[in-house]
Amino acid sequence: MTLPAFRVLQPRTVEDAVRMLDEHRSDAMVIAGGTDVIPNLQMRLFTPRVLVDVKPLRELAVIEFSARQGLHIGATATLTHILETPWMRDKFAVLASAIGTVAGPLQRNMGTIGGNLCLETRCRWYNQSHFWRQSLGGCLKKDGDICHVAPGGKFCWAAWSGDSAPAFLALDAELEIASLSGTRRVPLREFYKNDGMDRIALARNELLTAVHVPAHMAGRRGVYQKLRVRDSIDYPLAGVAVAMEVDSAGICKDARVALSAVNPAPMLVTQAGESLIGRKWSLELAERVAHAAIQTGKPLTTSGSTPVYRRDMVRVFTRRALEETWKNGHGSA
Amino acid sequence: MNKELTHLRVNGEEREIAITPNRLLLDALREDLGLTGSKRGCDDSSCGCCAVLIDGTPMLSCVALAASYEGREITTVEGLGGPGELDPVQEGYAEMGGAQCGYCTPGFMIATKALLDRNPDPTMDEIREALSGNLCRCTGYMQIYESVKYAIEKLRAKSATQAPATR
Repeated sequence: MTLPAFRVLQPRTVEDAVRMLDEHRSDAMVIAGGTDVIPNLQMRLFTPRVLVDVKPLRELAVIEFSARQGLHIGATATLTHILETPWMRDKFAVLASAIGTVAGPLQRNMGTIGGNLCLETRCRWYNQSHFWRQSLGGCLKKDGDICHVAPGGKFCWAAWSGDSAPAFLALDAELEIASLSGTRRVPLREFYKNDGMDRIALARNELLTAVHVPAHMAGRRGVYQKLRVRDSIDYPLAGVAVAMEVDSAGICKDARVALSAVNPAPMLVTQAGESLIGRKWSLELAERVAHAAIQTGKPLTTSGSTPVYRRDMVRVFTRRALEETWKNGHGSA
Repeated sequence: MNKELTHLRVNGEEREIAITPNRLLLDALREDLGLTGSKRGCDDSSCGCCAVLIDGTPMLSCVALAASYEGREITTVEGLGGPGELDPVQEGYAEMGGAQCGYCTPGFMIATKALLDRNPDPTMDEIREALSGNLCRCTGYMQIYESVKYAIEKLRAKSATQAPATR
C-alpha cells in the first residue's frame, strides 16, 4: 500500500506545534511513533494534508517522579523508555504490567505513551484496506451510513484498543493538554467519550503533552490482564487493570478496576471500589466484583473473537487480577 | 508532491536521496538505496520483517517516515558484517538453520543484534521476549533460538581471545 500525499511539519517547541495545529485544524494530524498513524494512513482511514511530527520534541519525553508532584510522563516518552525506568515496576505496578503487554518490543521502541492514550478505536469493519471497505459500501465510522456490527444502529461500537489507558484509569491519572490559549488538565476518565466515532475529548488544535499520576498512588499493588490470540503484537480483545492498596492485615484500603477493549472507551468498573474497600480477600468477593465487571463491559462483534467469550474472559481476568494483586501480593512495593 | 533532498546515514555511510515527504524508510532503503535486505511483510507494523537499527534500537521501517530519521544512525542487515565477513549473528542463523524461506530472517537478525549488543548473556526468557515482535512462519522458532545461542557462544569466544586475562 502507499501513503497519501502530505507535508510533514517539524515543530521545535510545543508552542510551535500547537500553532501549526491551530493553523491547519482538520487538515492536520499529529504523528509521533507512527505505529498507529502510518498503518491508518496506508488504509486511507485519514487523508491529512499536514502531519505535525512531535517526536523530536525532547521536552515532551521526560519521565519524572517526586513525592510531591507524583508521576509525570511526557507524551512522546516511548513505551520502552517507560518500561525501562528502574523504579516504574515498584511504584506503578499496574502501569508497568499493562505497558509490557502493548504490541511487541519493536513497536514499543517506537510507540509513545501519548499515542497509546490517543489510539484510534478499532473494528474489524474499519481497520481494513480502502478496497476492502469500499466493496462493502463503507461503515458508519468511515465512508458509509450503515453499521455492520449492529445493523440498523446509528452508534459506532469500534472498540478502545489501548492497554495503558485502563492502567492509568486505575491510577486516577490526569492529562495535560496544550493549545494556543494555554495548558489545561483533565481527569483521564473524562477524556474518553465512549463513542467509537469520536473517541476522545481533544480538539483539533490541541496537543496532549503529558500524563500525571497522583503521588499517593505510588506503591499500589496492581496487575493488568490481557486477552489476545497471540502473546505478542496483538491488540487486546479484552483487558482488565487492577490497582489496590492493602494494609498489613490484608484489608483493602482502596481499589480501582478498569476495563479495556470491551467498549468504545476504557472504563472504570464503578461498583468495584465500594465492594472491595474494608474487606479481606475471599474468592466469593472476587467473583462478585468479577460479575460486576461484566455489567461494565459491553463487547460487540468488533474483532475476530466473539462477544460471549470476551465477556466471560472479563469475568475470569477480573477474578485472576484481584487474586494476583491481593492474595499473592503481586506488584507490592 | 515535491521531492526533497534528504540525508540518511545508513550502515556508516552518508547517503543523499531525493524523496517525497511521504516516503517510508523501508521504501527509501529498498528502492532509493538498493538495500533490499529489509523486507516488507505485513506492511502494518505487525511482523518485524522490516526491522532496522536506529541508533542501535530495533525499529520498524515500514511505519517510519524516512525524512524523520535524518541524522540518526541507521543499520540494516547489510551493515551487520564487515566486508567479506559475517557478523556472529549472521553466522549463527546460517549454521543452525535459523532461516528457511529467509524472508523474516533480516528482521530476526536485527532484533538479535540489538539484544546481544545490550545483553551479551541473555536468558532464554530474554531471548524469547526480544524476538517476540518478529514473526516466522517456517521454523517454529526453535532453530532461531539455537541460532541466537550459537551467536552468543561465538561472541563469547571472540571476546575471550580479544581480551586476554587482565585480572
